[in-house]
Amino acid sequence: MIWLTWRQHRRQAFFTLLGFAALAALMVPIGLSMRHSYAELGLAECARQLAATDVTPATREACDAGFYRFTNRYGDLNLLAVLLLALPVLVGLFWGAPLVAREVEQGTHRFAWTQGIPRSRWALTKFGLVGAAAVALAVCYGLGMSWWVEPLTRSAREGRFGLIVFDLQGVAPVGYTVFAVALGIFAGTVWKKMLPAMGITLAGFLGVRAAVAILARPHYQPARTLAFPIEGATETTLERGDWILAQGIRSADGAMVAEDSRIMCPPGGKGPDGRACGAELGLQPGAYNWQLYQPADRFWLFQGIETGIFVALAVLLLWLAVRRIRRIS
Amino acid sequence: MEIALEAEQLGKRYGKSWALRDCSLRLPAGRIAALVGPNGAGKSTLLHLAVGLLKPDAGTIRVFGQSPYDNPAVLPEIGFVAQDTPLYRDFTAAELVHLGGRMNRRWDAALARDRLGQLGIPPRLPVGKLSGGQRAQVALALALAKRPRLLLLDEPVASLDPLARREFLQSLMGSVAESETTVLLSSHLLADLERTCDHLIVLNAAQVRLTGAVDDLVAAHRQLVGPRHDGRPVGGVAAVVRASHTDRQSTLLVRVDGPVNDPAWTVHDVGLEDVVLAYLADDAQQNRHSEWEVPA
Repeated sequence: MIWLTWRQHRRQAFFTLLGFAALAALMVPIGLSMRHSYAELGLAECARQLAATDVTPATREACDAGFYRFTNRYGDLNLLAVLLLALPVLVGLFWGAPLVAREVEQGTHRFAWTQGIPRSRWALTKFGLVGAAAVALAVCYGLGMSWWVEPLTRSAREGRFGLIVFDLQGVAPVGYTVFAVALGIFAGTVWKKMLPAMGITLAGFLGVRAAVAILARPHYQPARTLAFPIEGATETTLERGDWILAQGIRSADGAMVAEDSRIMCPPGGKGPDGRACGAELGLQPGAYNWQLYQPADRFWLFQGIETGIFVALAVLLLWLAVRRIRRIS
Repeated sequence: MEIALEAEQLGKRYGKSWALRDCSLRLPAGRIAALVGPNGAGKSTLLHLAVGLLKPDAGTIRVFGQSPYDNPAVLPEIGFVAQDTPLYRDFTAAELVHLGGRMNRRWDAALARDRLGQLGIPPRLPVGKLSGGQRAQVALALALAKRPRLLLLDEPVASLDPLARREFLQSLMGSVAESETTVLLSSHLLADLERTCDHLIVLNAAQVRLTGAVDDLVAAHRQLVGPRHDGRPVGGVAAVVRASHTDRQSTLLVRVDGPVNDPAWTVHDVGLEDVVLAYLADDAQQNRHSEWEVPA
């Protein structure tokens, strides 16, 4: 069985590794140049200083300028990062979907399943080996992306919790890849033709990923709220890397006055017309900034939960696939 | 007498329609049996049930006394060549022989190599590049290398030209003659199998119409020609299988249970093909007429 799996998939494995190597050849130089600039601009030092509470305004200004220059130079790479999000689903499409669907489409399942070994063993060996290969690939991908994307996330306000960068790094890609492969396999046992199975895999993967990222992820842990005054607040009040779910300005009695806004004035600062800070927006004294957020140090917890959800879905799909395989003739 | 394959009230349903229904048959070991019926009669379904690819929805099927579905003990006993002889097309014949050794505990690789060598099959060419006849031979060699006690072949010659057909059947018979292998092969053409088989199963419209040893079947049927028949029983006739009438004359194909001595009827012996056609001809047509909403 192991020999069969290897013989059937060796070309595929070769091309996958080739693609992976080509991707690495493209990404590693970019990553190195990014890290070089990051060090040259002194941003590592900046990140440490900004985390401290007593930052001199001069340091802050210099650092902000540095981050600005860095973002200007490399910010476009975020678009590249969006493309890289597609890699796990590609593994699902080209490794998962054909696994059963191609056998049934070409009729070879009737050959393979009537040899001396039961088809449940055929299924488990194939799922196991292909799954293990996918996990190995995904671990490399997750580690590589964590390394690559680190300077970008450090210089971005949202840090590692950003909607795209969270999905690119850490252990989450392992969960996505395993899920994509399992979804592909399952789709192949239901539709039994390669193209429909691939289409369903693509649609299902995007649907589930979007639903989890948008609906479930903000609620993995009860979000914290933070209130801080309009006057006298500085950037240091806010932790870099927090994931802000909602923010706004509330009046003294707690009613939301202005959604999705924030005002920060220096102590004793006046608005353009000489009145108190924020008065031209109709803010009464006592109004304060409010935000609902997930703190930056929950990153690994959230990564773990996200991965767990997708691994659990994958296990469920594989179980269903094995059940369905017993009914294919 | 050992029974290789036995079905009782066997049924298989796809959605609402039955692909096979009330199927009861026994195939004694050592026979070479033809499974005959038009396309869609349920031949593949029966073979898939026998090899354990399908689970029965009704009744039972047994191979050497055991239920084949999801039963690893039965798989080594059965050699199966599916319709259109599916093989991994990018594998070479030599790799397929190697693969068989990896997927079977009992595997006679030498037998497969000998056969393929005698037939002149190139070992290092992907089987997708072989001709249909050569590919069928590779599939047969792989099935035989399992040294099965029951060999099931689903339309093995359907896609072959007449010459390749004859060669395939000859080589099949040559290889099972010396062993005790029971063979069940399906076809929608009786002519392919008439010369090679000693047992017959006729399927039509999901049901078994006729089953038995060829000699018995031929001996039990006669053609009667005589004056127009009004449905009265004829002495020695157990059942009228098929009747055709002109204004003054009737031709009956009948199953007999004794000598037909009625002087009004001229009695002819019949060939196997006439018997099979008589059993196949009747009800399928009726159904078609009602589906098209035209009178039969």
